[in-house]
Amino acid sequence: MAAALTLDGISKRYGGFQAVSDLSFEVEKGTICGFLGPNGAGKTSTLRMILGLQPATSGRIEILGADDGRKVRDRIGFLPEERGLYKKMTPVDAIAFFGGLKGLPVAEGRKRAREMLEQMGLGDAQKKKMKELSKGMAQKVQLIASVVHRPEFVILDEPFSGLDPMNQQGLEAMIRALAADGATVLFSTHVMQHAERLCDKVVLLARGRKAFEGTVDQARATSPRFLELEGALDVAAVSALPGVSGVEVLNDHDGARTLRAGLAQGAGGQEALKSAFLTGLDVRRFQIKEPTLHDAFIALTGDHPDEDQSVARDAAHDGLKAEAAR
Amino acid sequence: MNRTLLIARREYMAYAKTVGFWLSLLAFPLFGALGGAIPILMSHAEPTRSVALVDEAPTGSGLAAAVRQSLENEQAKGDINALRMAAIPEAGVVGGDRVRQIAETQGYEAGVAALKREAPRAGAGFTAPKPSLTLAAPPAEIVAAAPGEARDALARRYLSDEAPDGRKLSAVVFLTETEGQPGARVWTARATDDAVENAVRDALKDVNRRQVFAASGIDPAVVAQTDRFRPELAVFSPKAASGGEVSFRDKLPTVVGLAVGFILWSLIITGASILLNSVMEEKSNKILEVLLSSASATEILTGKVLGVALLTLTVLVAWGGLGGIGLIAAAPDMAGDIGSVLMSNGLLIYFLLFMVGGYLMYAVLFAAIGAFCETPRDAQTLMGPIMMVLFVPLIVMQLAIRTPDATVVKVMSLIPPFTPFVMAARAPSGPPLIEIIGALIGMFLFAALMVWVAGRAFRAGALSDVKLNWKSFLGAVRGGS
Repeated sequence: MAAALTLDGISKRYGGFQAVSDLSFEVEKGTICGFLGPNGAGKTSTLRMILGLQPATSGRIEILGADDGRKVRDRIGFLPEERGLYKKMTPVDAIAFFGGLKGLPVAEGRKRAREMLEQMGLGDAQKKKMKELSKGMAQKVQLIASVVHRPEFVILDEPFSGLDPMNQQGLEAMIRALAADGATVLFSTHVMQHAERLCDKVVLLARGRKAFEGTVDQARATSPRFLELEGALDVAAVSALPGVSGVEVLNDHDGARTLRAGLAQGAGGQEALKSAFLTGLDVRRFQIKEPTLHDAFIALTGDHPDEDQSVARDAAHDGLKAEAAR
Repeated sequence: MNRTLLIARREYMAYAKTVGFWLSLLAFPLFGALGGAIPILMSHAEPTRSVALVDEAPTGSGLAAAVRQSLENEQAKGDINALRMAAIPEAGVVGGDRVRQIAETQGYEAGVAALKREAPRAGAGFTAPKPSLTLAAPPAEIVAAAPGEARDALARRYLSDEAPDGRKLSAVVFLTETEGQPGARVWTARATDDAVENAVRDALKDVNRRQVFAASGIDPAVVAQTDRFRPELAVFSPKAASGGEVSFRDKLPTVVGLAVGFILWSLIITGASILLNSVMEEKSNKILEVLLSSASATEILTGKVLGVALLTLTVLVAWGGLGGIGLIAAAPDMAGDIGSVLMSNGLLIYFLLFMVGGYLMYAVLFAAIGAFCETPRDAQTLMGPIMMVLFVPLIVMQLAIRTPDATVVKVMSLIPPFTPFVMAARAPSGPPLIEIIGALIGMFLFAALMVWVAGRAFRAGALSDVKLNWKSFLGAVRGGS
């Protein structure tokens, strides 16, 4: 499958701070790619470089066949992390305006805006001003504004942040629909569950470096399975079971503990269970669990995806002052 | 539609669709008209004061009669001046002077007839100004009472609502004479109203002057004749349009230049400030990043500058149109003179070029500052010194009206940031063409530099969270840290 986006050895330095280091990955046409990492990992900087909003310090980017995102900006839709629309505009006017900037005739933009607002359940809000809409409604409007021109490539920076579970589901459906219509979607998030449900491919980023690139299943496969045990259990005894590589206490209540035992690569868990029963450990409940993307991220990077690396992120923003015009 | 035009249209409509814009657009001419009308309305609304003169001077001095005469003369002067002022917008200063001369020598009615001849429209609607005071016969009770406390007590009564027979007075003036010099005690119904006090003071000064002249053996008729004397003064200058005698038409260009300079200053600063606020709003609402993903920084900056320029042009056309219509209706001759000044020597073109260059240099600078700021407070660090510098041309422009070729005015008009205002004020007085062309070239080169500088700063500021100060701003321009 042809690549819609190729990053080849991209680095970004702000003064003395290295925001992104030697980042390479590809996104195939018509697929959904999750760009995952904690806050401050370098996701926004990378997306801005892809869009051509700021230059890479080194490396090569190719998007939709162009060597600069600005050359194909009309074929790209972008939803930034920090969102905002003109407060005094109506949703229809705002969507048509941003569509117009992407080359969509204003009349057509207004027509599509009305249709898409209806589809998203915002038919009644068409004539209201943006400032009168709830945050969730405004985010939907902005998302529509970013895709109203039917872009070939959609970049969504933390699209789920600030949305309630219902709206998150709606957004997931919309992303699937975009891909079903042939668009390539690259979205960044630090919430792994969304990526797990949506992505054909994920790229994990930690401290500016790529930690993994592949499918969700491939990512999960990098992390061991878990054996969850419940009972009056001794941590040392469980740690000594065959195939167990580490133990974490999930719950401890009046001597009844829930332990999560990591299994070594290739270990199925049966050996550990057999040994536990043979040695008379007080196992009242057991379950073998498959690793999640969240687990895979920790296993691959040693970082927690929910941790905030925003000290680095702030430094990156400060460094933007050094970004002069290209 | 082209991205730049789309951004310009949004920028224009964002303001033009608001009620506030149209209110402020109409407010200026409305307040201008009100400013002119209010003194007239006030003078019409002011009540005429009823004043009684009581002579306490030694019998035979004729002080009361002299004061009465002086007050009446002053009233007549006011009427004649009103005739002259009514004539000027239609008949010019010369016509106004003719009306005054006729009224002074042949009487008020002849003056009204002259007004109707010189300025038919003004003459048809002319009414004499309402007198500020009328003289009433002093109440017999007061005249009969003994001077001092008895008269004062009666004066109090006539100034109150308990005045006998409803003959309430606004003021009672007791005229006195001390060591041969006229004086007065003025009892007034309202302590804060000094109209009677001032009129009586002027009248007493006039009476004293006449008495002094009379004591020196000078005939009062000679004094009166001397007072009426208006010297025939002609001013000549080699720079006058006639080649010799200076007329009001020769002075008009300087006035027009100063007015244009001030108008340009206020329009440019208003436009640039609109742009500053607009960019700040987009920055604080996180719209700039979305815009940057859809259009280049140059397209955004150009679109916004163009949109606000059209907005400013709308204001200029509206104000110019309303002002022009008002002037043509009220003073067609003056309107014609101003029109011919603007059309002479390419002045109108110069003014337009000054407006374009001035707007460009300040608009892009303000927009670039706005790209770093989310609130007006953020912008203060840079805007404070810039606004201080911007007040310099306001001072220099006032110098230009008297001495347009003073060295300081010349130098300031050639400094590009001040050129749009100071050279606009200078241009009508006919500076050497080389200076105007040089100033224009310098201004546009500087404007181009500002566009380049502001463009770089705008691009850097739009995506930056860095706190705005001179260091960060210049760092963004240099493209370094």
